Amino acid sequence: MIEDILVYAGLALIGLGAVAQLISGIGVNRFRNFYLRLHAATIGSIWGCVYPITGAGLVALGYRELGEYSTFMAGAAFITSFLILVLSPAGSHALARAAHKSRLVLVEPCVHDALDESMCARGGGSGA
Amino acid sequence: MLVEFYLALIIPVYLTATVLFLIRALKGPTIPDHVLGVDLLSYNLAVLFIILGVFFREPILIITAIPLALWICALDIYVAKYLERKVMGS
Repeated sequence: MIEDILVYAGLALIGLGAVAQLISGIGVNRFRNFYLRLHAATIGSIWGCVYPITGAGLVALGYRELGEYSTFMAGAAFITSFLILVLSPAGSHALARAAHKSRLVLVEPCVHDALDESMCARGGGSGA
Repeated sequence: MLVEFYLALIIPVYLTATVLFLIRALKGPTIPDHVLGVDLLSYNLAVLFIILGVFFREPILIITAIPLALWICALDIYVAKYLERKVMGS
């Protein structure tokens, strides 16, 4: 009974992650500059990565066919999902900060840039 | 049986997302765009490793995802530091 609930919850999380990765892939290709693409990238790394890995861990906990390795796989999956949950926002933040400070990427459809007004390229359109 | 059927349906969706991330990683006009694409590709690969590990019942595939997650963060931090200060390493 409890194994079935774990497996169904895990499979639901894996399906949610697949949809989120697809949305992220479309967003990464559709958004117009690097800072906007970071939003789509964050969908791909948290919704599309942490949730399905946690789901795979739940599936591994409740999946009898895995045999004696089931708890081992679940533990490794939970550790990976926690690492990504902590490290992915840190990495994205460092990348965005470096791109802005090194003036590599202009803020193209820009309304207001409080950090550095000269990075703001106005008249680029209405946003995403 | 149900788990394998469901995962066999889901894995092509992840592969479609992989292609979309690959387009951005190859096309990205600036260096941070390339790095962002490679980031997303690697996160996608980590998820695929773990799902395939459950699908094929291979525990060793799951272990490979942990260092992969750490390497992605290392790539981000190194590239960000290089872009900001133009130095590699310490």
